[in-house]
Amino acid sequence: MIFCGHCKVYIRDGKTICPLCGNILSDEGNDGTGEDIYPVIPLSYERHMVIRILVFISIVAIVTSYIVYRMIPTNVNWPGLVFLGLISIWLSLTNALRKRHNITKSIMWQVIIVSGLTVFWDWKIGWMGWSLDYAIPILCIVAMLVMYITAKVMRLSAGNYISYFLLGGLFGIVPILFILFDLVNVDLPSIISVAASIIFLSAIIIFQGHNIKAELQKRMHI
Amino acid sequence: MNNSKRVEWSRLDNASKYFPATCSERDPKVFRISCELFEDVEPEILQQALDLTIERFPLYKSVLRRGVFWYYFETSDARPVVEREDKPVCAPIYRKHEKKLLFRVFYNKKRINIEIFHALSDGTGALWFMVTLVYHYLLIRHKDDFSGKKPDLNYNASISQKKDDSFTRYYQGRHYRKQIRIEKEKKVSKKAYRIRGARLDENRIKVIEGTMSAKAVLDEAHKYNTTLTVFLSALLLLSIYKDMPVRRKGTPLVLSIPINLRQFFKSETSSNFFSTMKIAYTFGEGNTELKEVIGKLNEGFRKELTEERLYQHINWLISIERNPFARIVPLPLKNISLRIVNAVMDRGITAAISNLGKIHMPPEFDSYIRQFSVVPNVKRPQMAICTYGDRLVVSFASPFRETELQRVFFESLANMGIKIEIVSNV
Repeated sequence: MIFCGHCKVYIRDGKTICPLCGNILSDEGNDGTGEDIYPVIPLSYERHMVIRILVFISIVAIVTSYIVYRMIPTNVNWPGLVFLGLISIWLSLTNALRKRHNITKSIMWQVIIVSGLTVFWDWKIGWMGWSLDYAIPILCIVAMLVMYITAKVMRLSAGNYISYFLLGGLFGIVPILFILFDLVNVDLPSIISVAASIIFLSAIIIFQGHNIKAELQKRMHI
Repeated sequence: MNNSKRVEWSRLDNASKYFPATCSERDPKVFRISCELFEDVEPEILQQALDLTIERFPLYKSVLRRGVFWYYFETSDARPVVEREDKPVCAPIYRKHEKKLLFRVFYNKKRINIEIFHALSDGTGALWFMVTLVYHYLLIRHKDDFSGKKPDLNYNASISQKKDDSFTRYYQGRHYRKQIRIEKEKKVSKKAYRIRGARLDENRIKVIEGTMSAKAVLDEAHKYNTTLTVFLSALLLLSIYKDMPVRRKGTPLVLSIPINLRQFFKSETSSNFFSTMKIAYTFGEGNTELKEVIGKLNEGFRKELTEERLYQHINWLISIERNPFARIVPLPLKNISLRIVNAVMDRGITAAISNLGKIHMPPEFDSYIRQFSVVPNVKRPQMAICTYGDRLVVSFASPFRETELQRVFFESLANMGIKIEIVSNV
């Protein structure tokens, strides 16, 4: 222990500077019994480095594309597309990162975000209908498959995935509206999606009904 | 899809509801309890002790999850693992989307530390966990010494007692609303003085821990006919006053002091059961004597610490929680409103002081345990006190670089002739 003559206290953990007054402690009163009680934890700057680099690259890409567009003008406003494209990627990526601890939930949200984005892009580049014809129904089918496989591979307990299965199944039925309101040129993907969803939903309700009930009670308690 | 075991879940008690909504990287609502032994900690034995302890505290095996309207605890089968201390003091534990246990146990040299997310438990509840952990640790570590007679741990609550939601138990019902309204009217919101400073990097906190003789400090307190908590609160107020810029000397200082409700209402719960009181003091011309401050604080404590006042507070808190409108508001909206309320409340608080009181362990352990200490969760400079044997530990935790306040505080104790040993994390 060292005595700090300014603060009149004994410093127990072998410091050379008094934590109270910041003065350098004289070595005279030191009896050599300094103990290390709180470990020194180095600062961690590295943590989000990859993200920072990606953000930086995105900004550079947008700026350069506008410069190139100014110098070599074209009919299509392609820097705008670069900009929107990057925003789409970031939207999807941040969601995936934030929800990485809950994979089924993350998949569920990806389906919603990516569906929204495909419709937006389809509309942006002159409505050709591919988003509703193919993209959304196929997304729904793939999502149900991927959710089922991850739940099996990662051995998730029913409580962890059941509500997202339910939502995923319900979402997969949405393409029925495309057919009913005659929004699509090609029916087949939508029909498959709806059929798959109905089978998927009936399976989870029949086999996991009690789990669904328990989950709903838990999540919806007021 | 095979049938798996039904997952158990439970509601959060009243105080717990507040913490997940208001925690952030800056204010992670995490506190620490440490126990310092006279010898180095053996990690394997600590792990064994932890495995035994966790079975006695089933709530500690839960993770926090978000429902549509409320948060809830869900039992997890994750096994808590003892780690070597490698994170900053009171680093965040609960993060949205993560399903991790709400406490951690780690060691460094002679110290066993636990850090707990406040939604899980308050200081007293966590202390019971800590005491049980240390009890098991020492029993295994020194098997031979205790082979003849096992010391008794004086905490023997049943599992259901430990899980008890004592707020709901002591809620008197809605017809007590009238008195609540009266209480609300009495509250005059004054802007309190707030301590400013330069924040530390990475939202770290600075802990300065002063250990002294409990008897010596109590003797000083008794000279003024008061208790330890009041005495140290008064010293803290005076230290803040000395550090205040002159132009703000007239602003009221408000201390926030948590009250352990188990002292007033019979409860053995290891989850939250506390209330807080605010005591204001304004220094003017000529009332800067310790004696006067103590006198005023004594009066404040007497007024706040009556059963009637405490009941009022519980009734008020629970009635908000039970309000049908509040219940059907979706969780994200609840979180936003709680954060606003929290920010407004924070403006009315200068500093906080909490006394965990005297820690009891079987006397056979005296030669193994040096001291206990507590690091409070930090939003503003905050102080926590606990006593084990004759070793009184006053921990000052602050998010700021400046240590003037701490220096003045410990110096004033040293000037009374009390020997203080200082330990710090910076």
